[in-house]
Amino acid sequence: METFNNSKPVLVLLLLPCLLLYSLISFNSSSVEAAMHTNNWAVLVCTSRFWFNYRHMANTLSLYRTVKRLGIPDERIILMLADDMACNTRNKYPAQVFNNENHRLNLYGDNVEVDYRGYEVTVENFLRVLTGRHETAVPRSKRLLSDEGSHILLYMTGHGGDEFLKFQDSEELQSHDLADAVKQMKEKHRFKELLIMVDTCQAATLFNQLQSPGVLAIGSSMKGENSYSHHLDSDVGVSVVDRFTYYTLAFFERLNIYDNASLSSLFSSYNPSWLMSTAYYRKDLYKRNLEEVPVTNFFGSVMETIHTDAAYKALSRRNSGRFEAQMSLDSVHHAERRTLMKVNDQEETHDVNPEGNKQPLQGEEGASKCPWSTFCNKFRKGENVDSLVNYGLVTMIPLLVIPTWLVR
Amino acid sequence: MAEISEANDSDSSELQDNGSEAPQRPESEPDFDPKLMRKTKPGLKRLVLTFSVLFSFLLGFPFLWKSVEIYRSPLPFREIDSLSTQLRSDNLLFPLHFHALFVGFDHDPDHLRRSILLEITKLTSQNPKCSNSYTLSVNVDLGSHCLHSPVSSPHSSSYPCGSVTATDFVQNDDVAVDERLVSVFGGKTKEYIVAVVKGGSERAVVGKHRHAWMVVGGGRKVEVAAVKVAELLVKLFINGGREEGSIRNEFMPVGADGKIVLSFNLLNADPLDWVYDWDFEKIDDTLLAPMIEALGPVANISVESQVLYHTPKASFSFWNQKLESYVFSTKDLPFFVNSNEWHLDTSIAAGGRSNILQFAVYVPSAKECPLLLQLPNGEISKTNGFISPMWGGVIVWNPQGCLNDSEFEPSAKNIIPIQDLENMFEVFIGQFRQLFGFKSVNVYAGASGDWNLLPSERGFTEWELDVLSRQHTCFNLHSCATTLVSLSRLVQSLPRMIIMDDIGKQVKFSLEAAKLALSNASSGAYESSAAASSQARSLAEDAFFHPSIMSVSYYSFEHCFAVYSPFFLPVSMHVVLAALRELRRYKQEKAKYLVWKAKANTSS
Repeated sequence: METFNNSKPVLVLLLLPCLLLYSLISFNSSSVEAAMHTNNWAVLVCTSRFWFNYRHMANTLSLYRTVKRLGIPDERIILMLADDMACNTRNKYPAQVFNNENHRLNLYGDNVEVDYRGYEVTVENFLRVLTGRHETAVPRSKRLLSDEGSHILLYMTGHGGDEFLKFQDSEELQSHDLADAVKQMKEKHRFKELLIMVDTCQAATLFNQLQSPGVLAIGSSMKGENSYSHHLDSDVGVSVVDRFTYYTLAFFERLNIYDNASLSSLFSSYNPSWLMSTAYYRKDLYKRNLEEVPVTNFFGSVMETIHTDAAYKALSRRNSGRFEAQMSLDSVHHAERRTLMKVNDQEETHDVNPEGNKQPLQGEEGASKCPWSTFCNKFRKGENVDSLVNYGLVTMIPLLVIPTWLVR
Repeated sequence: MAEISEANDSDSSELQDNGSEAPQRPESEPDFDPKLMRKTKPGLKRLVLTFSVLFSFLLGFPFLWKSVEIYRSPLPFREIDSLSTQLRSDNLLFPLHFHALFVGFDHDPDHLRRSILLEITKLTSQNPKCSNSYTLSVNVDLGSHCLHSPVSSPHSSSYPCGSVTATDFVQNDDVAVDERLVSVFGGKTKEYIVAVVKGGSERAVVGKHRHAWMVVGGGRKVEVAAVKVAELLVKLFINGGREEGSIRNEFMPVGADGKIVLSFNLLNADPLDWVYDWDFEKIDDTLLAPMIEALGPVANISVESQVLYHTPKASFSFWNQKLESYVFSTKDLPFFVNSNEWHLDTSIAAGGRSNILQFAVYVPSAKECPLLLQLPNGEISKTNGFISPMWGGVIVWNPQGCLNDSEFEPSAKNIIPIQDLENMFEVFIGQFRQLFGFKSVNVYAGASGDWNLLPSERGFTEWELDVLSRQHTCFNLHSCATTLVSLSRLVQSLPRMIIMDDIGKQVKFSLEAAKLALSNASSGAYESSAAASSQARSLAEDAFFHPSIMSVSYYSFEHCFAVYSPFFLPVSMHVVLAALRELRRYKQEKAKYLVWKAKANTSS
């Protein structure tokens, strides 16, 4: 906008009222058309690796299990784990991950679908999941395919600090990156409501910079406080669960899929003396009253269902005999033809667009005749920056040689 | 002493030599002071050398600047803003032509026209996004002569007088009447025609194309008929049978790239009881293919199917002694789909931005058979099916084995009988219509009476396809505009982000497609405008979701500075200082020479 202000004041004068009108109307229309709540998604991220961070993976897997039990299917859960605990050589119970020293529950038992494992859990992949900007080859199971009516639960655990979260000991996610990603999600209507739960040290600082409406965030500790683990499992040898997650799970173990406990009861169940930190939540961006929001809005499954009143009787008016005759004639040939056509269709739809897009560009470049303009075009393309620099260096040499020879 | 002095002499500079020499020839130049004068003109070699190095540095600077320049493909920001304001300010207007034909009534057509228009304006809701502009022409056919209004309209005057009579509507075969109307009015015009006929039995039917007719009994006021006609025009022909005219996002199942994948699944809850298979290909060709073709301009649809085993449902059902079957209610519907065991989303054909609609046929186990759905008012559902918007639909089909036990012979694999499969697919088509926001029943119960809707073999009648095209054009264009505006805001807020050529091209083509869609819409070509708007939206989404727009991976200015300054700063400092020093030295030497020259001139 600054560049426009500098160069074309008249345009600004024309555009400014239109933009004001647009923002007004968009505000109005967005308040009028509220989307219906269609589905729930969960993005569960464990940002640590190595054996001594066992509890972070146990945290994430426990929440995964809870969310699945309350009804969110695997296809709507994105699970990002380093996944190096269960088969770690230091694990006395191979292929088993526990979150309690009584070993009652094996979290890694059945039906665990990890979408991003190992070194794929990076800040870049995390932000790509949130904003939806993947390469074309990324499969659907690794994408967050939410729409305007989705409620998303975002749970992150690991080591964190003041306005950052450490990813796998090599990178950081800053609070402004997260806020920026959420802002882009909101612009593209990728969620209706978002609940962020963070279980790290100084967790509440991670959502300081959030400004998008419809976001509710809770962190396990405030700035300057640490979040502690709950207990040490002397058999396994490491701490197996964090306090915040432990009390969250305790709350959910009492629920089943039909319950409607509210979010405010969840948030008020955190006792600072048990947690040894203050669980701080931020609800200024969230318009609804927490007493009225059931936890299954985020943690469980809800399907809006509409009964089908009647069948569409298109066929009953047709002569059934005619139907049979038509089928017997065509049935032989249709099978092979149909499958062939399908494959061609798919190939065609993929090929047409890029070729169509490429053609006009070739035409543009061929039109220039003057050598200087072709040089300029090549300059502007900027593909081979290296060769360009090489040309520059090479031209500098005669510039040096000639004066030296002149003054000799 | 002598060596030391000699060594001193040899080590010392020229100045010392001059100094030692100076006392030897003081008689030639008495005032020669080597500190202030020099005899020879100072050479330019040193100056030229240093300045050429400095100059080559300066010459190389633009090359360096170009090599670290961020490549940003130029985006047409002004056009994006103008498209957005155009869509916001003047509402997308679809032109609609209505034609009402009154047969056997002796009324003034102008009066009829005014009353219908009045009713229409009462019923039209304020849709902020897209509205329609309509024209209405009325013909009164009295057998012997015709009256039309408005007199100048080409639509009303083109009607051949006397071609539609009351006898056409006597028979009860609605399909034949529909065909007759098509033959009279021709299928090529895009106008919506309502025929009001004076006759015996009351009947109101909407045909498969763009015609509707109403048989009004004798003695009824024609004004009542006018109200009903207005309601038909607004509620059905403009809005497609929905309650309000606005577009609800949960009934827009087309994916962002304009594709829908229909995934049909046959779920055998317990294969130990019985295993069912179906002949999907036949049904696909006969029932689904015409519907998919009809929806071509709106969405690119592909179909796949699978049969799954061991897929119990997640909710509970109870035995009802009166109905002698297991019953589940509408309260259980949200929990019916058991996503843990139903692995429905295994499609590899769908791209990242397509939308998948799941249609599942649930075959219950022997322990829960027959399974019926009970509605809140106590009735049993006729279809045993339900939908979830944006997800798909489920039908419960009770196999023969539990309906009449005696005749059933279990075999390794049973095929669902063709008649049942047809019925099932009729329900599926009804559910598909529901997912697009239409009703699955064939009757529209309006405020002033009912209309029978003739079903079409393609799943959607032509006027319903028009409604779909218009709504999807509206939705797609608005979505495209907001996406492009968000993209331009994002790009302008990050001045150092690389924007690749792909994005520029996609934005350009998206804007062209949007312009094409707008021009087609204003000329009334609904289908081509829907196709163009779908392409505009998919290109805009491709541009916005281009994987290179990641804020973590572009070079900030601090990064660039930190990379290049450790080399260039010290070197350039040395070069500049050397040049300045040489310049200063040259000036000094030149001054000394000039002083000597002046002295030499004055002395000689």
